[in-house]
Amino acid sequence: MEPLTFALPKGRLQEEVLTLLAEAGYATDADVGRKLVFGDSSGTLRFIMAKPSDVPTYVEYGAAALGAVGLDVLREGRWDVLEPLGLNVGLCRLSLAGPASWRGRNLRLQPGLRVASKYPRLANEFFQAQGISAEIIYLDGSVELAPSVGLSDLLVDMVQSGRTLAENDLVELQTILPSQAMLIVNRAAHKMQFSRIEEIVSRLSAVVERRKEAQE
Amino acid sequence: MDSTELRRQRPLGLTDLFGEQAAAYAALERALIEQFERWGYQLVVVPTIGYDQALSTQASPRLNEQLYRFFDRDGHALALRPDMTVPVARLVGTTLYDQPLPLRLYYAGKVFRYEQPQAGQRREFTQVGIELIGAGSAEADAEVTAVAMEALRALGVDTFQINLGEVDFLRGIIDGLELSVEELAMLEQAINRKSRVEIRHALDTLHISGQAGEAIMALPGLCGGLGIIAEARQLTANPAAQRALDHLARVYDLLALDGYADHLILDLGEVRSMDYYTGISFHGYVAGLGFHVLSGGRYDRLVGHFGPSLPAVGFAMSIERSLLVAHTPTVRKLDLVLPACDHPACHRVAALARSLGLRVETELLGRSGAAWAAQALAHGATHAIVRCDGEQCELVEPGGSRTLTLSALLEEVPTWSR
Repeated sequence: MEPLTFALPKGRLQEEVLTLLAEAGYATDADVGRKLVFGDSSGTLRFIMAKPSDVPTYVEYGAAALGAVGLDVLREGRWDVLEPLGLNVGLCRLSLAGPASWRGRNLRLQPGLRVASKYPRLANEFFQAQGISAEIIYLDGSVELAPSVGLSDLLVDMVQSGRTLAENDLVELQTILPSQAMLIVNRAAHKMQFSRIEEIVSRLSAVVERRKEAQE
Repeated sequence: MDSTELRRQRPLGLTDLFGEQAAAYAALERALIEQFERWGYQLVVVPTIGYDQALSTQASPRLNEQLYRFFDRDGHALALRPDMTVPVARLVGTTLYDQPLPLRLYYAGKVFRYEQPQAGQRREFTQVGIELIGAGSAEADAEVTAVAMEALRALGVDTFQINLGEVDFLRGIIDGLELSVEELAMLEQAINRKSRVEIRHALDTLHISGQAGEAIMALPGLCGGLGIIAEARQLTANPAAQRALDHLARVYDLLALDGYADHLILDLGEVRSMDYYTGISFHGYVAGLGFHVLSGGRYDRLVGHFGPSLPAVGFAMSIERSLLVAHTPTVRKLDLVLPACDHPACHRVAALARSLGLRVETELLGRSGAAWAAQALAHGATHAIVRCDGEQCELVEPGGSRTLTLSALLEEVPTWSR
């Protein structure tokens, strides 16, 4: 039987997701190196390496039946995919941050607020919901820089340990979205390959549960 | 972009079809129509434009956001139809409501949606589908689902699946919780994504706990064969939810009777557009395509917006999406090419061939002779006449050329038809 294609996010999540998959019985060679396509030892899965923000695209179109991607990336786009499992790795949060002087200020009363973010949609949704009028300035990276050079007042970005913020004299003001790596599944594949995909989801789910219990 | 540039462009999300694609488009539409007629469905043709009031208020909220709207000269808001179901429901509610029931109607037409072109979606596309009106039974649901199965089979693919849900199960579970439209939409979205993380979050936010909460948490897992119905029965005591399960089981049994069980997946987590669907809802998938090619369900409240209330169930298939996987027939080649010719014999041969359904092309650019005939054959024509007077005709075929009398040629032409 043809292996199912699994889109992996290059970078931060890649190793953690591969380890999880190995624990679920889908081991890969220790050294996948720079390969863009490789299989697991059981022949069930074929992995493709993709830019994290491209993972949902591969899955929505069915070019990959499954994928793993951060909830932050998933919610920033508008993808129609199934999200059967939170993988409980890559834990972080989308937060509003800024210089310490902004702590405790009522943002609704700050007209002309400028906020730098790599997540314009989520940032905008957050401000709309809070009744805050803010101009979102889109940046593709190093968002922490924006307040110090006067590009923006605040920023909305992913925070893991908070170290990067601290190094730039910034503090976390509010959590917008707690994030983790999500297992995503193409809608058609879920029906066309139902039992095979259910098997993968349930094995991964067992690993996630086992790990959670071990943590407690 | 200035206007001289626009002149040469198509607006985003629209497309041209030609050659094999256009042939495949027409062939698929024809195949589906033939299928619908075999089940006794009859054609209805409805206008492309309607009053905004008629089209938008009854459409699902998602479609409502995607309407192309404009005004007529009297200042009335008009819209291009975003689907075929609402105009057909209007026709039935206002005009056909007192005809012998049930009504079996089919349609084929363009619909327009202002949406981000992605995943095979276009802003103008063709929906071909059926509406079965005036029958609220499981038999009616099974019939429409079976026709949908046959529509998928018409694509010429071996593997296809229909994902069958029943929104009344969830509606029964949340009965009495008094959720607002926004709250329900939030829950619906989480369930529809099968995201346990998000469902848990929604339940916490909406303070849903106890048996209802447990039943909702179980929805992503209630997907599979007939076994999930027994599983679902344990989750709720709500009579409406239990009736929904009885109904779904009955539809499943009827479809199994017709041999469709292998192509059917029951999915109680399929809960899209709960404000629109009132019973079963389904999506059709085929191998090789990552998104559905047809969708349908029961909407018993729709016709009542336009006239007497009548139960209705139907589905629509997108031709453009289906073409991404349908087995493309090659464009049928020419059977005969003729040079420009003033002799009545040429015209007799051409007329005879066309009356037999052969494809005949007459040369218009003044070309003739062996080189022209060879070129025509190279493009796939099976016969070329290079010369014909009242008595002798010279015929070129892939095997060579020969001369025969006009009467012999007229006798031979019928043998060319396939």
